[in-house]
Amino acid sequence: MLEIRNLTKSYGDVLALDRFSLDLKKGEVLGLLGPNGAGKTTLISTLAGTVRDFTGTVSFEGRNLFADRSLKNRLGIVPQDMAFYDELNAMDNLLFWGGLYDVPRADLKRRAGELLELVELAGRAKEPVKNFSGGMKRRLNTAIGLLHKPDLLLLDEPTVGIDVQAKVSILEIIRSIGAAGTAVIFTTHQLAEVETTCSRIVIMDHGRILAQGTLDELVRIVGERDIVEITGEFPAAAFSEALQGAGAGVEILSVADDHASLAVGATEEIPRIMDRLFRGKVAVTDLKIKTPGLETVFLKLTGRSLRD
Amino acid sequence: MRRSAHILLNDVRRHVKAPWAILIFIAIPLVMTGLIGVIFAPRTEGSELPPIAVLLVDNDKGLAAKLLVSSFDVDQMKEMFQTTVTDEADGRKRMAKGKASALVVIPEGFTLDLLEARPVTLLVVKNPAEQFLPDIVEEFMATMAVMLSGVVQAFAEEVRGIRAMIDGPIDRIPWETLGPEFGKAQKKIAAAAKYLDPLLLRLKEEETQAAGARPRITASHLFSEILPGMAIMFLLFIVQTLMRDLLSDREDGKLRRMMTTPLRPIELIGARIAGGWIMGLAVLLIMVAFGALVFRATVGPFGTFLLLAVAAAFWTAAFFALFHALVRNRNQAGAVAAPVILAFSIFGGSMINVEAMPKAFRLIGILTPNRWYIDSAALVRDGRFPLVGLIVLVASGLLFLALAVPALRRRISV
Repeated sequence: MLEIRNLTKSYGDVLALDRFSLDLKKGEVLGLLGPNGAGKTTLISTLAGTVRDFTGTVSFEGRNLFADRSLKNRLGIVPQDMAFYDELNAMDNLLFWGGLYDVPRADLKRRAGELLELVELAGRAKEPVKNFSGGMKRRLNTAIGLLHKPDLLLLDEPTVGIDVQAKVSILEIIRSIGAAGTAVIFTTHQLAEVETTCSRIVIMDHGRILAQGTLDELVRIVGERDIVEITGEFPAAAFSEALQGAGAGVEILSVADDHASLAVGATEEIPRIMDRLFRGKVAVTDLKIKTPGLETVFLKLTGRSLRD
Repeated sequence: MRRSAHILLNDVRRHVKAPWAILIFIAIPLVMTGLIGVIFAPRTEGSELPPIAVLLVDNDKGLAAKLLVSSFDVDQMKEMFQTTVTDEADGRKRMAKGKASALVVIPEGFTLDLLEARPVTLLVVKNPAEQFLPDIVEEFMATMAVMLSGVVQAFAEEVRGIRAMIDGPIDRIPWETLGPEFGKAQKKIAAAAKYLDPLLLRLKEEETQAAGARPRITASHLFSEILPGMAIMFLLFIVQTLMRDLLSDREDGKLRRMMTTPLRPIELIGARIAGGWIMGLAVLLIMVAFGALVFRATVGPFGTFLLLAVAAAFWTAAFFALFHALVRNRNQAGAVAAPVILAFSIFGGSMINVEAMPKAFRLIGILTPNRWYIDSAALVRDGRFPLVGLIVLVASGLLFLALAVPALRRRISV
């Protein structure tokens, strides 16, 4: 359905997208993971048609996505900003934003009613949006992107800054939209959201895809090794020096002053690691052992945790 | 076009649902017009002055004194003066309280002194709190003094004869000789009477129709003159507020979202400019309608006025389209717009009458929409067609529009 080929976009000297290529099938829910500045929002904005001066091609069902304005009727966007009018009520907002697409007025009204039910705002449809909580606003923001029944839905961090209940609700909507046949790309910082919602995960950094696949496929990248997170009072250089020549079973995934992450082949390796650190005068105050997961993959691929 | 109309209707709906900013901008010029009108308008319609309160003290009670007192009751004098006869102590007390414009004291022996052609003094006490009403009383008394002096001199011979006869004790008055003396006087009185009753000399007011002459200012005239200046000033504020959406939508991500829909930039620009124009026009008409209802302010032929209002609202929308294409953000727009509008209003005559300005200021005023609107509104009120004003407003508006559209397109194409 969607073919992205060699998409490149830079802001001055900063390369936001670097020959980015991706295919997306109908009904696929793709989670886009990456640290801040990885290029996720630039990708979404480029696909949405709000970024110019890029190179590469994007075709939607074989047609150039940017050459045919009518294709915008098949694209739904849920931006990171709460982009609607606070002084209007939820229903008026839906009717306004939906009215910018080529949807017959009668269908639009019916569709707006259905979506208000879906995002659990039907009871407050006539209330000014300025009275809504953050979670309610996020749900409305999501509903606006679905009004015209898009074939491709792009969501830029749709769950940021909201409570758990609203988050669960939005993720459920994304799952159901995907199940109904809409292709979805959504960006997030939350690994758990991707793990529970997406059929495919793309990890990107510096405008490039580092890895992609299902959760199982990605976990296999780091193998069956455990992750050891160590905190203490040490300089990064001293930590690395202490573990030099620790063996093939120990891999430093990331290290900073006072914090480091290691991948270890077996838990039996841990006493030997601690002994080396002790002899290297690395003061350890805490140690956590984790089984491999998306976070491990992310850490291994980007060298950074998603908090960075 | 459909999407432009859709956006325009949505903008109207939004401003109707949150109308306070616009209502305040409508109310301020009306309140200011009302206040200025109330302060400067004449108190009574159709008359130049209110009746002048005069206190009269007659210490003489003689014939001449009575003549003087009654002169205030003659014809037009009765309309001009409101007299109260009192004694001197009460009169001075009332003057001290500012209850009258002047106190006129007729001294004791006034009639006799006049009859004997001796110099006599009338005392006029003026109220210093009033500017010119006491002077009118003083002038009137001076005129009466001249008149009485003339009368005494005209009847000098008869007065002397009668005085000589009545100077002695009453039982010695030669009544038989009084007849011929009164007879002589009677002839003169009879001759004078036809000039005095009714008065031959009457005052009639008339005003010249000289070029540049302005009609007398009434309250309704004053409101009609003030309102256009206030209306155009606040039209500028209102349209600036309405069109700030061009920036705020960009800053809070709504513009970006709009551009992900099939909406074209030109449709959005068209909607915003048309919205500023139409809503500005509606607001201007509301202000004028309110002014007409409350202050009886007149606009002249409505069709011509509507044309002027359409042109003024168009100019304002086009100007602020360009303005918002040039400023960086909403805060900068707010900070720059107010001084610009105030400068337009000061030099353009919304705040100060253009005629009271130095020549250089008047020349600057030509560059403002306020000046063209105010002058054109005055022409429309006089029943004339403001062709030059309309051409200037529409032509400069078109120029702004031609500059604004490409500039806004560049800004909207995110």
